[in-house]
Amino acid sequence: MSPAADALPVRIEACDCLTPLGDATATHAALLAGRRALTMLPVLGEPGGETAPLALCRPMTETVPPRWLPDLRRLAAGIPADDWGTARRPVIVTSSNFGVGSLHAFTRDHDERHLRHGPPFACVDLLRREFGWGEQVWLISHACVSAQLGLAQGARLLHAALAERVLVFTFDFLSPFVAGGFHSLKILNAGWPAPYAARESGSIGLGDGAAFAVLSRARGDFCLQAHAGCNEMHHFTGNRADGSGFAICAEAIAGAAGGRRVWIKGHGTGTLEAGRLEAEAFARALPGAPLVSWKGSLGHTLGSCGLVELAIALAAVRTGRVPGTVGSAPPCFADTVALDAFAAGGFDGVVLDSNAFGGAHAAMLLTHA
Amino acid sequence: MLERHLQHLRIELPPPGETADGARDRLGAKFPRGAARRMTHLGLMLGAALEGLAVREEDTIVYATTYAEARALEDYLGSFPAPSPMLFQTSIMPSAVQQALIARQQPVRRFLPLTGRQRLVEHAVLAALLDPADRVILLGGEERGTWMLAHGVASDRAFGWALGLERTARGAAGRLGFEPGATAAEEEPCPALPDFTDALAARRGLRWRGGGGTFMLEWS
Repeated sequence: MSPAADALPVRIEACDCLTPLGDATATHAALLAGRRALTMLPVLGEPGGETAPLALCRPMTETVPPRWLPDLRRLAAGIPADDWGTARRPVIVTSSNFGVGSLHAFTRDHDERHLRHGPPFACVDLLRREFGWGEQVWLISHACVSAQLGLAQGARLLHAALAERVLVFTFDFLSPFVAGGFHSLKILNAGWPAPYAARESGSIGLGDGAAFAVLSRARGDFCLQAHAGCNEMHHFTGNRADGSGFAICAEAIAGAAGGRRVWIKGHGTGTLEAGRLEAEAFARALPGAPLVSWKGSLGHTLGSCGLVELAIALAAVRTGRVPGTVGSAPPCFADTVALDAFAAGGFDGVVLDSNAFGGAHAAMLLTHA
Repeated sequence: MLERHLQHLRIELPPPGETADGARDRLGAKFPRGAARRMTHLGLMLGAALEGLAVREEDTIVYATTYAEARALEDYLGSFPAPSPMLFQTSIMPSAVQQALIARQQPVRRFLPLTGRQRLVEHAVLAALLDPADRVILLGGEERGTWMLAHGVASDRAFGWALGLERTARGAAGRLGFEPGATAAEEEPCPALPDFTDALAARRGLRWRGGGGTFMLEWS
């Protein structure tokens, strides 16, 4: 029997994201239209290298100030004004990359100015200066489940009455550091990602992404009800072959969903084994619940994917249409995989799943308040 | 008052200048054959600090580091333009903890890796105090950089420690606590991770205001 999910209901006062397709509204509309943000680009940026599917907000050239700053300014303009970065209104910044691309840029051109935002704290100090945040800024980095952990920790601070509002802010922008790394692992290759498709070889895409959510106990039309997770600690990049890590997380969040009729925004990067194990685990835990992934269009936004895709899921619920699994085709690993868009009406919850290196799994339940 | 009691405390303070290879010679016997060969200095130190703690699946792990996998990061960057897949994996936070637990094949349900600088210790302690698990294992560590250190973007010290934090006071070496109540205007500087490490090693008490309250490290 799986452990229970952590029931930490909190409202979402505000939430938006930024992808190469635009904000959450524009990204949702583009996904419904089947648009793919990914394009074939050299994995090492200007120096070249083999091409792979990357979705970029602007060219993958590390600059001073960093290339992602204008995009984050644009996103942050939508954050409700408050005394952010104080004990009662803490900020939780999550990322798997922070400014690590700047370290790569330094090794390339030896311009020390890149180092000003290389380490995570220095990168976030830049954001603090830009956005006027105080010192109470948490930094969480657990690869591709980072944003989900940030949302859970924000809920925990609210439930302990140590905070009145929490801003969770996440960003991951690509660089040769990360694109070159995934390419070296051979899971980023010349193929287009086709999440949950049962085909000969797997492949992922990578994408720029950023998002924020303002959480509180009382305000907002939507509620994050519960969080589930586990860390297999079996292998750096692989999962237990029996899928037990996926199953523990899926069953725990299914328990939190109770009798609700939910659809599932899966992790679905396009790798074969993880895609199969995820699809099978959720088909067992939540029979009949449609499963979608949007990474065939957006690419994998890494540590930010949990919050980027939450913002898109909220847009889907608000507009009544859920984008399908762009880029995939039958046969799929489970008959619950929804390739085409479907109506959000009739569902009373969404499960959002993320996975990461080390066999880390995180899932959360979104409902109307 | 939120509090947890220190039922396990182990600190790795390696000799100055120790390299990962030196740590492998010193600590390698603590790990399964083959695992130590691939572990970083930080992974070896954290793994050694966990010795004597039978980690359980239901334990929560909170991890605090400012610079994380500095040496793997340096080596991975040095592998361009032909990036190394193994160094890429080990350069990604929280690889050091994963190395230690993968070596043991020890799953855990909750794992919260934190980074930062100014208030990192405070956030790690608060996360440990708020977690619902019966036992929280609080880990902290850094490895000493080389060329990144020369540019001020890596730690100048190597250390790793593990605290087993439980609700029971009996037999505890000390306690970590947080008393809500301070205002933002009363916030004081939070001890940096190396300073917190020194306090643990010397069994020296700490007390500071931050995060809307007062934090304390006290010894029995």
